[in-house]
Amino acid sequence: MGVALLGMGICGFTPTSTGLSYREMIAKAAKMAYRDAGVTIDQVDGAVSAEEDFPSGYSIADEYVPDQLGMVRKPVYTIPGDFLHAVASAAMQIETGRFDVLVVESYSKASNMLTKDEMVRFAYDPVFNRFGLSPHWLAGLELNAFLRESPYTLEEVAEVVVRNRAAAVANASAPYGDNFTIDDVLGARPVAAPLTELMFAQHADGAVIAVLGTDEAARKYAKNPVFFSGIGWGSGNSILERRDHSLSMGTAIAAERAYKEAGIASPSQEIDAFFVSDSYAHRQLMHLEALRVSGTDPRTINPNGGALGGGDLFEATGGVRLYEALAQLRGEAGRCQVKAERALVHAWRGVPTDSCVVAIVDKERRAQ
Amino acid sequence: MSNRVAVIGVGMTKFMRRAKEAPGELAAEAVRMALEDAGLDLDDIEAVTLGTAPDAFDGIHMKGEHLIAGTGGANKPYMRHFIGGATGVMSPIHGWMHVASGKYNSCMVVAEEKMSPCSPHPAGAFLTIFDRVTEQPLELTLIHIFALEMARFMHVYGYSERDLAEVSAMIKRNALHHPAAQIAMDLSPDDILNSPVLSWPVKRFDISPTSDAAVAIVMVNERIARTLKKAPVFIEGVGFRLETAYWCARDLCYPDYVAMAARDAYRMAGVVNPARDIDFFEPYDPFDYKALHHLNALLLDKTGRTVKNLFESGNLTREGSHPMCPSGGALGVGNPIAATGLMKIAELYFQLSGQAGKRQIQRTLRRGVAQAWGDLMQAGTVVVMGADGASPVTSSRWNTMKREDLPGTPIKTVDEVPHTSDAPDLRYAWDNGFAISTYLDGLKKGKIRGSLDTRTNRMMVPARAFSEIADLAPVTGYYNLPDSGVVKTFTISHVNWDSSPLPEGKVNIFVVIALDGIDDDMGLVHKLGEVDPKDVKIGMPVKAVWKPESKRTGSILDIAYFAPLGNKKTRLDITQVKPVEVNALTMSQTPGKIPLSYRYTAGVGGARYYSDLARGKISGTYCAARDEVLLPPAMFDEVTLSLLDPEKDARAVNPGSGLIRSFTVVYEDRQGHLLAKEKVVVQVEFPGVSGSIFGLLELKNGERFGEGSPVMLVKPQKVDGPDAVIFALQGQ
Repeated sequence: MGVALLGMGICGFTPTSTGLSYREMIAKAAKMAYRDAGVTIDQVDGAVSAEEDFPSGYSIADEYVPDQLGMVRKPVYTIPGDFLHAVASAAMQIETGRFDVLVVESYSKASNMLTKDEMVRFAYDPVFNRFGLSPHWLAGLELNAFLRESPYTLEEVAEVVVRNRAAAVANASAPYGDNFTIDDVLGARPVAAPLTELMFAQHADGAVIAVLGTDEAARKYAKNPVFFSGIGWGSGNSILERRDHSLSMGTAIAAERAYKEAGIASPSQEIDAFFVSDSYAHRQLMHLEALRVSGTDPRTINPNGGALGGGDLFEATGGVRLYEALAQLRGEAGRCQVKAERALVHAWRGVPTDSCVVAIVDKERRAQ
Repeated sequence: MSNRVAVIGVGMTKFMRRAKEAPGELAAEAVRMALEDAGLDLDDIEAVTLGTAPDAFDGIHMKGEHLIAGTGGANKPYMRHFIGGATGVMSPIHGWMHVASGKYNSCMVVAEEKMSPCSPHPAGAFLTIFDRVTEQPLELTLIHIFALEMARFMHVYGYSERDLAEVSAMIKRNALHHPAAQIAMDLSPDDILNSPVLSWPVKRFDISPTSDAAVAIVMVNERIARTLKKAPVFIEGVGFRLETAYWCARDLCYPDYVAMAARDAYRMAGVVNPARDIDFFEPYDPFDYKALHHLNALLLDKTGRTVKNLFESGNLTREGSHPMCPSGGALGVGNPIAATGLMKIAELYFQLSGQAGKRQIQRTLRRGVAQAWGDLMQAGTVVVMGADGASPVTSSRWNTMKREDLPGTPIKTVDEVPHTSDAPDLRYAWDNGFAISTYLDGLKKGKIRGSLDTRTNRMMVPARAFSEIADLAPVTGYYNLPDSGVVKTFTISHVNWDSSPLPEGKVNIFVVIALDGIDDDMGLVHKLGEVDPKDVKIGMPVKAVWKPESKRTGSILDIAYFAPLGNKKTRLDITQVKPVEVNALTMSQTPGKIPLSYRYTAGVGGARYYSDLARGKISGTYCAARDEVLLPPAMFDEVTLSLLDPEKDARAVNPGSGLIRSFTVVYEDRQGHLLAKEKVVVQVEFPGVSGSIFGLLELKNGERFGEGSPVMLVKPQKVDGPDAVIFALQGQ
């Protein structure tokens, strides 16, 4: 495929962001993205936004997309999915041959949503499994199923937290970098045992913008583009009663497709860095299994600290990972820098879903 | 370069005010039918894309995720797309992207809407589409913004209420032969004119109904379409455009965004002159005027003369030169938002392949256009489809399809069937940010504030921090503006935001006001007071009536209302002000909530589940395609999308034979508060069945349990939701 990432912009990431409206926050990230991509607004053909309604509090969040991107009256639509779903949709759009440059946007004002547990609970089936309980129940149950069916221990799950939060200490845009021990994580307050309070990501505010284009557009406008060589997405069963909670089928489907497009046979050998959803610590391990890359050097996994260190930004979370991958491939990741020519960026939509995306991003366009 | 993309099959449920089926079940019924119509199995479908409008209707956060199984998307690439009311025609566009990109050979495109769970009325979901700071406090709903647009449209293009009643009558009559039609009727224009006025000029029969339904279409590339020897109908052109959300900053009379989307689609399709090159039209018609309003744009004629002539000469009927809404439209077939748009695409497919039965337009058709509209008078999606010389289908079940042949089970009230209810507590405190904090500070001081966009020399109201139409250019100054202006359009409303009637004799007059001294197309929405409703006119000068300073809080409601200015003179000063200083106190938040509650039918599978539970029993549903018994009871199997009957195919499961598959101990309630005592959620499996049940484990003191522990179902006192599913440990 011939779709490139021309540039990105962010605003954030912080636990709260009182001084900026969502419009002001997004406009700032958009200006950064356009400059980074080397494009002017009139060179952008349209926009794809990644948003759900209830996190923003609008019944039709899509209405409030175009203004702060400078995309008024352009082709614009919303993907109620992760940022990477929107990237995948924009990439398809470009591959039809009818669009050259598109902007992808998502943001989180998670701090403005006061009843987040109630909202996530509202995503469960009202007839069969919307209990009057914390929506984390499914993660706790998943964690138990995962521990039973996989070779991992609870200590190894806790180690994910320790590593990611420690990595984030060196990441200037990550608000939750810190130095915990495995015992801290295991001994933290239980929420849905064996899941403790430290085993899932806290929320953060921020905006993420990416500018995508054809390879030709990348060469024409961008100083330092990177290139998508494969994008896949997949969803596991939405009927929770008939889903295997010990694995992520959505990730496996997405990965298979992305690897095929990129011509990757041995992912752990051919990919240098992995940006994988860790909204729940056990999910990072589960995703790595589904990606067929468990056992790779842990320093190459979420080197910027993941969502455990950087925050869960609702639908924008995958965008943060793409931003981190871009910085790594460009050699601009500062003290989080690892050596990477090819990165894998993954997204998962959180409980109660198993909807996932995998994108392979290369520093240079490779011949296949 | 793009692959050509064809539609080769359609499925749909009846359009119903209220369906027994759960959302996923509605989708499954439509998808199963589409697969059979196309002659394919679910395995032949490589990807699935779903269109569905706000989550606030179905009452499920991330409802696209909830609908995966019902659309056939489980264990496949699946993605939802969304542009409010314009979603349904975005659906085939998103499907087109899947195939035209070369990424997939086939794509199932599904549109589902279940509006009926939203209580007291789905219209309530529209309160929260408006800007939460500058508009929501006025308690507007969708009917108000339509009425404001309708009044403006009538004023500018010279249509009378009777003209529009004729449009409604024509479209509802067209629906008489549509098998899915919910409110096909043969009404006279007088019937429509005499229906109750809800928000002048909108009367009840000017509006489409709320509906539950699903529609699915199968899209494939040209190679597959030709191989299958179906009568393929090709996507020839697509367009989609989104206007600014600042809807008071533009003239509502003509939807430029629809015209732009149409131009995109026409360019791709090679359509030069739409009135000549397109044979029939399916504009979105949630209200009667909307059909004409959109047709103006689809014919790229801002003067409106072409449509006016066609209307006056009777040429918009199915027998006329330019048939409009031959399907029967949203006004007659029904309006399950996203599903309506896809129904219009289905109509292009039927008409262009000779499968429209008694609705068939009696001449050779080469090309049709369908369009949907959505968001805040803002989104336009357009698809041109062409027959490409395909010979009409001679024997299609669609030609003789009747309402009873379509799936879907209409019910009158939720109380007829097992159901559950919920009232989510969704609360917010929205950061106003710099520009809106400055605007609200002005209101508190009795001033309307704007900011100057120096690139376009526009004074922007409400004040914003950047220019949305000029490269996001920053603004350099904030200004106090005159608080007088003229009425651009108005509506006299008899209903509240949740569609409940106002007390007898009381009306709310909503107006869009162009403020004095600044650009004509820059205004705000508010209420009008101190006036007899019959004296309200477009162009009338008005002035803000402020609440006393002691009562002002920094809200749009600090203006009590606008009142007629009469012959009085008013000052037109525009003075620059110092914006608020950014600090922890000045950066305000606006509190808010989504004030909705829901009553959900348990669905066909869920009805069996709840009635079993009430008797202390459990049953699974036998699925022949998998030769397995599925748990919980199901109306469809998500692997093959076979439709099942949870009553006829029921297989008893011993409620005492459960084994704990997995579990968790939960310490927090639904809001994250600590529970007085922790609760155990268990996933319970039963021998010989595929699937499980989630429930709560009731523990006596000292009881120990783990994976594999045997459990039995405890017969509940009352079954009104998942919390009634309780298991107890066996044999201790």
